[in-house]
Amino acid sequence: MSSVGATEPLGTTPTGPALQVAEARRGVGADLWRAVAHNRKAVVGVALLTFFLVLALFPGQIAPDDPMAEIYSPGLGPSIHHWFGTTAYGQDILSQLIWGTRQSVVIAFAVGGLATAIAVLVGVSAAYLGGIADGVLSLITDVILVIPIFPLIIVIAAYEKNAGLFTLVVVLGALGWSYGARQLRSQTLSLRNREFLEAARVRGERRFYVIIFEILPTMTSLIVASFLGAALYAVLFAAGLQFIGLGDPNSQSWGTMLYWAENNEALGANMVLWAIMPGVCVALLGAAFAFLNYAFDEISNPALRMRNLDRTRVSARRDLGFADVPLDSEKILEVRGLSVAYATHRDPVVAVDRVDFDLARGEFLGVVGESGCGKSTLLYAIAQLLGPPLSGEITEGQVIFKGRDMVTLSQRELRHIRWREFSVVMQSAMNALNPVLTIAAQMRDACEAHSGMSSKEIASRSKEVLRLVSIDPIHLDSYPHQLSGGMRQRAMIAMALLFTPDLIIMDEPTSALDVVAQRSLMVQIKQLQERLGFAAIFVTHDMSLVSHFSDRLLVMYAAQVAEFGETAQLFDKPLHPYSRGLLEAFPSIRGPKVELLGIPGLPPDLARPPAGCRFSPRCPHAIAECRVTEPRLLEVDGELVRCLLYENGARLDDHIVDTAMAVSPEAAG
Amino acid sequence: MRFVLRRLAFFLVTLWAAITTNFLIPRLMPGNAALSMMARYKGHVNPQALHALEIAFGVNTHQSLPREYFTYLGNVARGRFGISLTFFPDAVSREVLQALPWTLGLVGVTTVLAFVLGTLIGLVTAWRRGGLLDGLLPPIFVITSAFPYFWLALLSIWLFAIKLGWLPESGGYDVVTTVDWSWAFVGDVLRHSILPAFTILVTSIGGWILTMRNNTISVLTEDYVRMARAKGLKPWRIMWTYAGRNAILPNLTGFAMSLGFVVSGAILVEFVFNYPGVGWMFLQSVENQDYALMQALFLMIILAVLAAILAADAATAMLDPRTRDRT
Repeated sequence: MSSVGATEPLGTTPTGPALQVAEARRGVGADLWRAVAHNRKAVVGVALLTFFLVLALFPGQIAPDDPMAEIYSPGLGPSIHHWFGTTAYGQDILSQLIWGTRQSVVIAFAVGGLATAIAVLVGVSAAYLGGIADGVLSLITDVILVIPIFPLIIVIAAYEKNAGLFTLVVVLGALGWSYGARQLRSQTLSLRNREFLEAARVRGERRFYVIIFEILPTMTSLIVASFLGAALYAVLFAAGLQFIGLGDPNSQSWGTMLYWAENNEALGANMVLWAIMPGVCVALLGAAFAFLNYAFDEISNPALRMRNLDRTRVSARRDLGFADVPLDSEKILEVRGLSVAYATHRDPVVAVDRVDFDLARGEFLGVVGESGCGKSTLLYAIAQLLGPPLSGEITEGQVIFKGRDMVTLSQRELRHIRWREFSVVMQSAMNALNPVLTIAAQMRDACEAHSGMSSKEIASRSKEVLRLVSIDPIHLDSYPHQLSGGMRQRAMIAMALLFTPDLIIMDEPTSALDVVAQRSLMVQIKQLQERLGFAAIFVTHDMSLVSHFSDRLLVMYAAQVAEFGETAQLFDKPLHPYSRGLLEAFPSIRGPKVELLGIPGLPPDLARPPAGCRFSPRCPHAIAECRVTEPRLLEVDGELVRCLLYENGARLDDHIVDTAMAVSPEAAG
Repeated sequence: MRFVLRRLAFFLVTLWAAITTNFLIPRLMPGNAALSMMARYKGHVNPQALHALEIAFGVNTHQSLPREYFTYLGNVARGRFGISLTFFPDAVSREVLQALPWTLGLVGVTTVLAFVLGTLIGLVTAWRRGGLLDGLLPPIFVITSAFPYFWLALLSIWLFAIKLGWLPESGGYDVVTTVDWSWAFVGDVLRHSILPAFTILVTSIGGWILTMRNNTISVLTEDYVRMARAKGLKPWRIMWTYAGRNAILPNLTGFAMSLGFVVSGAILVEFVFNYPGVGWMFLQSVENQDYALMQALFLMIILAVLAAILAADAATAMLDPRTRDRT
């Protein structure tokens, strides 16, 4: 279906782009074999295939008898001498089966190889050349795909009776490539504009070189799948042709055995195994290819793999001495020590690590951080929207919403408060709206799920909320793809307002839009919030976007809270070196011009967070202790900050004087 | 509009390719199989019919290839496929039309049934991911999808007809019953269709289950499914209108693409059961070197596949508003 990592949904990857790239590379090389060894279906497939390969290679050594020699009594039943009995001609059935393996195996591999070679050639060139060449090649592919191969082969065989092995392989191979070619074409199309190919083009490498060395290696699993599919169909079709007598009747093959068995009415004449065993062999060899094919599908499509989180492997937690916020009934939401872990093929990855915060009624909280720091996971953990199907799980902590701990609520109980009391707005409405339902239908099902509203009431409420976000209600009958990006985003916000909930959780609702549209939507969200009075948690990586709208800010770094405080204060005097870096990464709208500094390096791989302070490898102010001791969340000036430089009432600025002279190159990079 | 035109071009090209294949194969193959067949017609058919057959197989035509080709296209367009040797002196077109309802009834109905059932089972197994059904069904159907159709047909005849004697062994109806629309006859036809239908169903349903399961699992990771959960919709509603409605779209394309495979298997099933449909007649014509009948049946099979693809296209357009807007 797609290459490793390509189908990971946005905003839910636990460990950011670094790991995705690494996984994509791993999918090709030696790890393919490791993946095969860990897949039960693949192991069964390999075992079966090995078994038949051995039979095909050494039939003379393994088979007890000459398969064609008519030396025994006809129609013997199974016995110690003849495991599967004898044929009506007095031949040993077991020996015939063993000798028959070779032809099926040869046909499978020859047809698989030939068909795959054509598929690669046609599929990749069609996609890579594009234009008219693509049009013609795709049309040919589609036509061959729908022409039933079997009748066509029969037509050909009808004119040339007793077609030999060679003819069979050529015809099956020449007709069996179209499915693979189609898959390879669409995969190449999706790769065509990727960066590494652009880079190769810029380097001036030749097309041929680019195809062989840049494109093909990324499609190993698809090529393997194409081979396996063609091999499976070759085994089945060859057996079918021989069975109806369109092969060489003197050849040693399972299909020919079935032909003779049927001609001698083996089933009626109590030579049942004569007719059953060749079919079992065909089915088993076919199953070997089918199992491998299925396993490769699982290996290449991460969504198909199921991982269960092994809670015992979530490392034992250290006591970090949380700043204890007393329970406050005025709060609409209290998040306490919330942790989320994802199962991966190695150790579980903790994507949200003991996060605490609270939210007052009508408050607007901004959650900021680089991509991959766990902010989206935090949102979905709060909304109880982690797996299934994703493997993220809340491992500890509470999410107390209006006095109830949502972590412990049942799905049914949760369903009743969803959308009525809290709703969700997602990053891309293009993905978050059901493409096959109209906007009206998607509003209607939410209303029907939570109220006894009549269809008239639902329609008028839907119109009302669309007007709230300045969309003409005429668009209720539109499908998502018929709306512009900005309209879709607004329609999703309108949907979230259907029941005027107390809390709306927003995951970067503006980042899919251009800068101007972003601003105006942001202003509108803020106006709606003031007018309707809902509380909001707003995730963004753009700190300047929330600066004028949020009451408080939560800065996340590497799954943890780095800093939490009033927006104004945090902007004026950011405490954590990371917050400073984030602020310096965006131009200020007002005030004097300052050089944009940003933060060197990338956020850490959450599977292996750095020891001590997680920010220390990128921190310009890190001291030796930062690499050893994991900092606690400290209360400084009424804010919370996770930084050792503030221990014992010290200030970051004190340290800057000390360390400015002695910044080691390592600390700077 | 562009989309409709492109599909139309695809249908025409496929049809043209099939007809041209029919025209070219007898001319390309070595040997004189066609010649020996023509000899059997001599003196039995009128000169005009003989000439049409000669053009169809490229024997004694004394014409240029392009001229033969266009004459042949014209004959095909008017449904003139010649005289059948097997059912002499019946016209081929008449025989084909007689076999067609049997195949549509058996293969058509079972294929659609297998698709619908398989899609439903696939949806449910994916929805109950990791459950008993999901652990059991995929491996079983990986194996059944590798069964040779004809072999399963043989086995079911042996078990249910020969050993247990529950059902008739072969044929489309009992030769002693009168062919009419009586209950007795219809019941007899149904009884004869159970075993072949079962064979086709078992071997073809696995593919639909597995692809639908994998499609659904991919769809379940989509944001709109998460959104549906966020909205607090009932699980069955999410399964149907969010997961199912979207996951079936690629399955419909898959349906169209694997029809060739299904038809191939069905031909063998009809052969094993001596079921009087297009597939059985097709193999009879091959055996009797009745090339005129064979060519017509080959075209008929492709027409049937194209009609099914058209139906799948229509279903896709009905279920997916995005395809509708491309028209």
